[in-house]
Amino acid sequence: MTSSNQNRAANRDFVGARVVDPSLKLDAVRTIVVRKGIVAALLEDAPANPDPDAERIDCGGMVLCPGFIDPHVHLREPGDSQKETLLTGLAAAAAGGFTAIAAMPNTRPPLDNPELIKRLHDDAAALGGPRCYPIGAVTMGRDGQRIAALRGMAAAGAVAFSDDGAATGSLKALYNAARSIADLPHPFLSHCDDHSFSGALMHEGIVSDRLGIPGTPPVSEAAIAARDLMVAQATSKAWHLCHVSAAQTIGVLRWAKTQGVRATAEATPHHLQCTDELLLGFNARWRVNPPLRSAEDTAAVRQAVIEGLITIFASDHAPHTEAEKEPPLSHACVGFSGLETAVGATFYALPEVALPTMIANFSTNVATMLGVPGGTLAPGAPADITGLYLQRPWVVDPKRFHSKGRVTPFEGMSFTVKPALMVVGGEIVMRDGEVRGERLAAALPGLAIS
Amino acid sequence: MTKSKNLLDLDDADKTFIEALIARARQYKQGVPNENIRLRGRVVLGMFFETSTRTTTSFAVAAQRLGAAYIDFRTDGSSLAKGESLEDTMRTVRAIGADALVVRHSEAGFPHALARYFDGVVLNAGDGAHAHPTQGLLDAMTLIEEFGDLKGRRLVICGDIRHSRVARSSARAAWLLGAAVVLCGPPSLLPPVVPAWGFADLATELDPLLPATDALMLLRVQKERAQADELPPYEELARFYGLTRQRVDLLPPHAIIMHPGPVNRDVEVEGELMHHARSRIERQVENGVYVRMAVLERTLGSLSRDRVA
Repeated sequence: MTSSNQNRAANRDFVGARVVDPSLKLDAVRTIVVRKGIVAALLEDAPANPDPDAERIDCGGMVLCPGFIDPHVHLREPGDSQKETLLTGLAAAAAGGFTAIAAMPNTRPPLDNPELIKRLHDDAAALGGPRCYPIGAVTMGRDGQRIAALRGMAAAGAVAFSDDGAATGSLKALYNAARSIADLPHPFLSHCDDHSFSGALMHEGIVSDRLGIPGTPPVSEAAIAARDLMVAQATSKAWHLCHVSAAQTIGVLRWAKTQGVRATAEATPHHLQCTDELLLGFNARWRVNPPLRSAEDTAAVRQAVIEGLITIFASDHAPHTEAEKEPPLSHACVGFSGLETAVGATFYALPEVALPTMIANFSTNVATMLGVPGGTLAPGAPADITGLYLQRPWVVDPKRFHSKGRVTPFEGMSFTVKPALMVVGGEIVMRDGEVRGERLAAALPGLAIS
Repeated sequence: MTKSKNLLDLDDADKTFIEALIARARQYKQGVPNENIRLRGRVVLGMFFETSTRTTTSFAVAAQRLGAAYIDFRTDGSSLAKGESLEDTMRTVRAIGADALVVRHSEAGFPHALARYFDGVVLNAGDGAHAHPTQGLLDAMTLIEEFGDLKGRRLVICGDIRHSRVARSSARAAWLLGAAVVLCGPPSLLPPVVPAWGFADLATELDPLLPATDALMLLRVQKERAQADELPPYEELARFYGLTRQRVDLLPPHAIIMHPGPVNRDVEVEGELMHHARSRIERQVENGVYVRMAVLERTLGSLSRDRVA
C-alpha cells in the first residue's frame, strides 16, 4: 500500500464506546480520535465536523481500553515451526485481543545474541499486526552458566531478559548478568523452579502421591523466587516473576515488596483456576510448567490478584502439536495454547476484580514492567487499542484457533468476555475475531476464520 | 478397571471384582479340569522395560498352564528404544498377533498409554510407583487364605511407601476386602494426608503398631528408583523400619510376615527371618501364578477372537 493510503487509514474516529483507561483513571463514553496512528484526543462527543479523511468506526456496545500486552509468549521460531510460526503466533495474538506480545527466548537456537533478536524483531514488524518485543536469554544457549550479550541484545531490541523454561542455574551468573546491565531499565523475568526437581512431571501433592508420579513441590518455585528477588535487591534491578503457581511464592513476593525490591509478578489463566486433579487418569495433555497445583494454590493466586500483589496477566502461550501432547507423561511437551483464550479465561476466573484493575493488569502494568510504549490512551500515545464485549458468551473451540497449538484446558468452556476489536497504530488488525490486518491477513490463507 | 478388558490398576476395582478373581485363583490352586485348553491359541507378550524375575516368570507359567503362548518382547533393543512411536509399536504387536500385553515400565501410567493404542488386553505388571495390580491380588489372596474374612484385621505396610507400587495396590485390595491398613515409614516417604489414598492410616513408628498387627508387609527398598537426595540411607530405613528378631517377638503369635520380593537381606528383613514359621513370602510367590491365571482367563477369555489386525 502507498504511504498516503497508510496515513489515511491511520486516521480514524472510534465512536460510541465506553472507554476504560486505568492510566488516565478514565471510565466514560468517549470518542478516540486517532490521527496518523497516534491518539490525538479523547472527546466527550463525536466530532461535530467529521474529518473527511478519517474513517468513523462505530464501537457501540464495546469497552475500549489501552492495547493488551501479553508479556509471556512462546513463538517457537526459530526451530519449532511445527508448533507455531511467527505468522500463526501473531495471528493468534491478534485474535486474542493483544496489540503486543513479548516473545520468550527458549527457541532453537535460543534468542541469546543480538542478531537473532534483531531478526525476530524485523520479521515480526514485516508481518504487521501485533507488536513483537523479543526477550533475550540471560545466558548463552540458556545454559545457566555463561552470561549472554545482554547489552548488545538490548541495543538490538530486546526489552527484557529471561532464561524462561528453566531457572538460571548459576546464582553467580545471574547476579553478574544483572550487575552488567544495572544501568539499563530492562527487567529480568524469572521462571522459578529448582533444577533438582527437574525429573518431576506434575505438582507434588495428594494427586501425585495417589498416582505415584514424581512431583515438584511449591518450595521448588518459592525458593528460586526468593533467590532471584534477593539478586534483584542486591543489584537494584527491576524483577518479574513469571507464572506464579504456588501460595508459598506469593509469601515471598509479599516479603520482597516490603523490602523495597522492585518486584512484579504475573498470573496465567490456568494457574488461576485449573488444578492437578486434571492429571488423574494420566492425561498427558495437562502437563505444564509450572505444574497445575492444588485448589489452595489457585485460590492463593486469585487472592494475590485481588489484593494487588500480582498485577500482571500473562498467557504463557506454549503451543505444541497434538502428537507432542500424547502420553506417556514423560514424553509429552509442557504447556498450553493460550493467546486466544487468555482474555476470556482470566475474566472468568476473577469476577470480583474491578474492570479498571483487570484492564491495567492486561495493559498498563505490562507496558510499565517491560518499559514499552502503550498501556495508555493519553493523547500522543500510539493508537494501540483493545476492544472488549463484556457480555458476549462464547465457547472455546480450539479448531477455530489461529495458533497451531490446539491443546487448552479451557476447551468447551463458555466465557462471557470476548475480544471484539484490536487496533495497532490506528490500524484495525482484528474485528469480531476476524484477523484482517492487511499484511497479516494477506499472509493467512484460509486461517482467518471469524 | 472392573468394566475394562484391561487390568491397569485397582483404582476403580470393587470388592466383588477382587473376590471373584481370588475365588477363581483358589480353584486353580485346587486344580481345574482342562485348564490347559482354556486359552489355547492365545498369544501373551511380555513387555518388561524394567527388570523382573518373579513377575515375568509367574505370568509366563500362568499363561502356559492355560495353553497360551508367552513370548518375551525384547524391550532393550526394541523399536521403541529406537524412537518408534507407541502407536506404531502397538500396530506392530497387533499385526504380529498378540492378544495380551504384560507391561512393566518405570513410568507411572505407561501401561495406560499403551492401552490407548492396543485393542487387545493390557495387563499392568508394575508401572513406576503407581500400581502392581496382580501383586495386590496375590497379597489379598494370601491374606484371605490365612484369615478367611479380613474384617477387623489390620495390615501394616512398612518402609518406602512413597515409591512403592506394591503398597498402593496391596493396600487397596486388602482395604476393599475389609482390612484396616496402616502405612508406616518416615514422614518424607508417606502420603501427605490421612486417610491416605482415601482409606489408609499413617504411622511413623513401627514398634507400637506391632502388638495389634495381623499382617506385616515389609517393602523392598527400591534402590533402583529412589535416589540419595530423596531417601534416608537404607541402613537407617533398616534400623527403624526393618524386620528384626526383636520386632518379630512384638507381633502377636498369629501374625504373618509378607514381602513382595526380591528381599534385600538384612535391609528390610534380617536374613534368618526369611524362612521363619510366620513368613508367607514363598506363599505369596506361589499364589502369584494362580492369581495371574485367573486374571488372564478373565481378561483374555472374553476377548473376541476375530479382532481385525
